[in-house]
Amino acid sequence: MPPPPHDPLERYSRQVRFPSLGQAGQRALLASKVTLCGCGALGTVLANHLARAGVGSLRIIDRDFIETHNLQRQILFDEQDVRDNLPKAEAAARKLRLINSTIQIEPVVTDIDHTNVLDLVGDADLILDGTDNFETRYLINDAAIKLGKPWVYGGVIGSEGQTMTIVPGKTPCLRCLIETAPPPGMTPTCETAGVLGPAVAVIASLEAVEAIKLLTGANDALNRDLIMIDIWDWTFRQLKVAGLLGKVDCPCCKHRRFEWLEGGMGSHTTTLCGRNAVQVAARRPEPLNFAELSQRLEPLGEVRHNAFMLRFATEGYEFTVFPDGRAIIKGTNDIAKARTLYAQFVGS
Amino acid sequence: MATVRIPTPLRPHAGGQDKVETAGATVGEILANLGTAFPALRERLFDGAELRRFVNVYLNNEDIRYLDDLATPVAENDEVSIIPAVAGG
Repeated sequence: MPPPPHDPLERYSRQVRFPSLGQAGQRALLASKVTLCGCGALGTVLANHLARAGVGSLRIIDRDFIETHNLQRQILFDEQDVRDNLPKAEAAARKLRLINSTIQIEPVVTDIDHTNVLDLVGDADLILDGTDNFETRYLINDAAIKLGKPWVYGGVIGSEGQTMTIVPGKTPCLRCLIETAPPPGMTPTCETAGVLGPAVAVIASLEAVEAIKLLTGANDALNRDLIMIDIWDWTFRQLKVAGLLGKVDCPCCKHRRFEWLEGGMGSHTTTLCGRNAVQVAARRPEPLNFAELSQRLEPLGEVRHNAFMLRFATEGYEFTVFPDGRAIIKGTNDIAKARTLYAQFVGS
Repeated sequence: MATVRIPTPLRPHAGGQDKVETAGATVGEILANLGTAFPALRERLFDGAELRRFVNVYLNNEDIRYLDDLATPVAENDEVSIIPAVAGG
C-alpha cells in the first residue's frame, strides 16, 4: 500500500482542532509574513511560538550575539551557540529550522534604525516587539503607523511586564501611551532590577497569541487594554487605554509626524542595558574585511573571527565587530571612550 | 482616603511601600500630598507642576488623560496607580 498522501496541515492538527482557529486560520498563518524585531528574551519565545504555529515567513532581526548570561531566559540558545560566537538572529534561525523546516526563516543581523526600518517591515503583515529599548520601539511605532501595519508591544523587567496591541487607526499607538521615553537613569535597567525568565515567557506568549489573532483575522478577540502582570505578587491588570485614541495630542498617529523615522531622535551610539558595554553603530557601504582587520589587530591583542563577527580583546576591552561595521565594545559605559576605542582599533 | 499604588521601581522613594493611603479630593491633590510626604518621589513624577511625560496615572483602571487629568475627582476607596514605562525584554 502506498503511504497516504501527505497532509501539510497534519503537523498543526492540535491547533487546527481549536475551533476559533480551524483550517482557515491555519492557512492564513501559513500565508502570512511576520517581522520580529529583536531576538533576545522576548524574541526567542515569540519566534519559538510562531515557527511552531506555522507562520509561513518569519524575518528575525537582532544586532547582538549570544553570551552565557542570556541562557537563563533566551530559550532558543544553548552553550554551543555561545562557543560558536553566533549572532542571535543566525542561531535562532538554525534552531527554528530544526523545529519547523517547512516555513521560511530569514535571519538579519543588523541594528534597526531609521534608515532601514521601513525596508525591514515593509512587506510584513505584522510586526512584533522583541526589543529591549524604547528607541527601537518608537521607530517600529512610527513605521507601523505610517504603513498602516499592526504591531504588538511587550516589555519586561524584574517579575513584571506589559503588553499592548496596536492597530493603526483603531487603537492608541505607543506614543499615545508613552509620549517620550524615560531618560537614562530614571528607570531601572536589567542590570539593576534583573529579570525572571518566566516573566518574559508570559508576556511574549501573550504577544504571540495576539499575533495569531491578528494574522487570522480574529479581530474581535484582540486585546484592547494595556495588560500589566507581576508574576511574583500575582497582580494581573487590564488598564483601559482605548479612550486615549484621538484624545491625546499624539504627534505620531494624530499629526502623522514621524519624528523617529526622520532620524531626528535617538542616538546611534548606545550603552547596552546591564552590560558595561557600548554599541558603536558606524554603518559602512561595503562589508568589513575580517581577514584583513584581524591581521591588523593580531599584534595588539587576541583576535579571532568567523563569518558573522570578529572578536578582539585588548587593554581590558573586548570588541565584537560585525560585517556592517557596527561594534559592541565591552569594558566601558562611556560613549565617548567607546567612540575613541572604535576609531583607534577598527578605524572610521 | 484613597490608595496610591506605587510601582516597583519607585518604591525605594516611598519608604519601600507598595501602597500609600493618601488624602485628597482630586488626582492632583493626592499626588501633591504624596509628593510632600516623599519629596524624592515627587521629583520622579513631576517636572514643575506637570506630570513627566513618561509617567502615566490611572484612576482605578482608567487613564486620567481621558478623564479630567489632574483635576479628576477621586472618591473614598478609589485607587490611583502610577504606571511606569517598561523597557526591558
